[in-house]
Amino acid sequence: VIAVSALGAAAIGATLALFFVANARLRAANTASARSATVSAAAFDVRGQVIAIDVALQQVVEEYNAKNLAQWRHASTSWEHPAAVLERAAAATNPEQAQRAHALRDEIRSYIDDYGEPVVGIAKVSPAAVRSSVAHTEGTLRLDQIIRDTDAVARSSAVIAADRSAAAGKLADQASIAGVVALILTPVLLILLGVWLARAVAEPLRRTVAAASEVAAGNFDVRLNDRRRDEFGDLARVFNTMTESLAVSRSELIERADSLERSERHKSELISMVSHEVRTPLASVLGFTRLLLERDLPPSDRQRYLEIVDAEATRLATLVSDFLDARLIEEGRFSLRREPFDLRSLVREQAEVTLGHDESHDLALELPDRPLQIDGDRARLAQVVGNVLSNAVKYSPEGGTITVGAAEDHGHARVWVADEGTGIPPEHRGQLFQPFYRGDAAAAGIPGTGLGLAVSRRIVEAHDGQIGFDPLDRGTRFWFDLPLEAAANGRR
Amino acid sequence: MAARTLRPLILICDDELPLRELVKAVLGDGYRYVEAEDVEQAEEVLKESSPEAIVLDVMLPGKSGLEFLSELRAKGGGKAIPVIVVSAWQSADDQRTALKAGADAFVGKPFDPKDLASVVEALIAA
Repeated sequence: VIAVSALGAAAIGATLALFFVANARLRAANTASARSATVSAAAFDVRGQVIAIDVALQQVVEEYNAKNLAQWRHASTSWEHPAAVLERAAAATNPEQAQRAHALRDEIRSYIDDYGEPVVGIAKVSPAAVRSSVAHTEGTLRLDQIIRDTDAVARSSAVIAADRSAAAGKLADQASIAGVVALILTPVLLILLGVWLARAVAEPLRRTVAAASEVAAGNFDVRLNDRRRDEFGDLARVFNTMTESLAVSRSELIERADSLERSERHKSELISMVSHEVRTPLASVLGFTRLLLERDLPPSDRQRYLEIVDAEATRLATLVSDFLDARLIEEGRFSLRREPFDLRSLVREQAEVTLGHDESHDLALELPDRPLQIDGDRARLAQVVGNVLSNAVKYSPEGGTITVGAAEDHGHARVWVADEGTGIPPEHRGQLFQPFYRGDAAAAGIPGTGLGLAVSRRIVEAHDGQIGFDPLDRGTRFWFDLPLEAAANGRR
Repeated sequence: MAARTLRPLILICDDELPLRELVKAVLGDGYRYVEAEDVEQAEEVLKESSPEAIVLDVMLPGKSGLEFLSELRAKGGGKAIPVIVVSAWQSADDQRTALKAGADAFVGKPFDPKDLASVVEALIAA
């Protein structure tokens, strides 16, 4: 804005200055003209006086008498005043003119003193002598010279005045052109300024209003151009920060709502799963109890049925306590009972327990020769290995080989269990360790609570370890790492 | 004549041993029984013999009981065999799904022994 305004002001100022100068020049030219007229008038006066001197001298020469002599005396002094006037006027023009006028005065004086007076003196004694052509011719020559010089002074003044007038006229023309240009340029500049203001202020303002309306309508992806270096740039940056944080809060809210919804869904799945898990043994307990009460059974059958009732009631109790235990671990309300032991024995034990009587799966055990000594809660870690193993069995219903192994790896003990089962679809991989998350298992009729892996992760992390899985071409390999005893001691 | 006097054969398909025992105890000595732990075994049984009724659990390892039932009805061969679905899933929806799959009766777990006995009896007599 400032640059454009300054440019406009400078243009207008320059035009005005040009007008002032032109005006001054015109006035100077006028003065010069007036002076030239004065010089011309004075020169004309002097010219008349010189002719009067000549006439008076001629009369004296023709007839020397008192009257003519008196006229000569008068003429030979009366020129002084007009000559002085001419000299003053010429001096006002320029030094050259002043010099000319002065020279003219000297010339006239010299004519009177060196020619006129001697001629008068001779005319007194010998009028015939002065009437000779020689003397007359000299006087005529000198007089002609004086008149030519007088005219020259007048002409010079006129020329100077004309020159100045022409120069002033030219300047006035230039000033007029500049004025017209300024007249055209000023509105153009004003229009440009208006356009610039509209672009620089109105446009970003309009964009900001539009963006704010978008945000109000719930679109938090809208961004303003924040590369400007002015106040609009600042506004845009603050605005963008605001919308970004709004977008973040909204996505957090949505994420929280989603996760609440997910956890609600998982809980209702869990409830139906638990009720199913509970109903199965309950059906045996209630059914056999009713038979025992209603029918007269042989003692051998009674005994067998009671044993079943006992086993199923125990199973029910274990189920409930396992479930409560899982909840406690999931909520982090458990403590570790650490003891040093060899991880290999635990892995071997769990593999035997889970797969010893399983005829549909082959077991491949990969254990190192050296012990894997760790410091941990044996029972809890047995739970982890048991969980991962029972998952391997549950999720490979077609059978196949289940590989169970352990090895030392960069100061850690790694345990892995690989199956040749259905594998984990990519969409379920991210949430696998979430409590109650079961993917498609419920639909596929695979029993479980969705707590096994969540609980396993809690236990492994409480041991400063890590748990994860790698999808295989066929099936999945779950693994977990635990610090070896030396490493664990070293860190303490 | 011999076939008439033979006791009816019932296929019990359930992965839980106590439940299979319970069904046998409830139905008593009036029937002969063949057991299957999953759908695969049940299909094997059907290849070798033709039971008079099937007592079928829904939650089985691998293929579910209802899938097995749908396929059985689709094949048409087992159309005549009455199927009693026994399940711990017993909401109205679960019952409807079972009947739609081709079940002749639905018994929820836990069940009253008398109920199961009378349902099986009625279906075999029909």
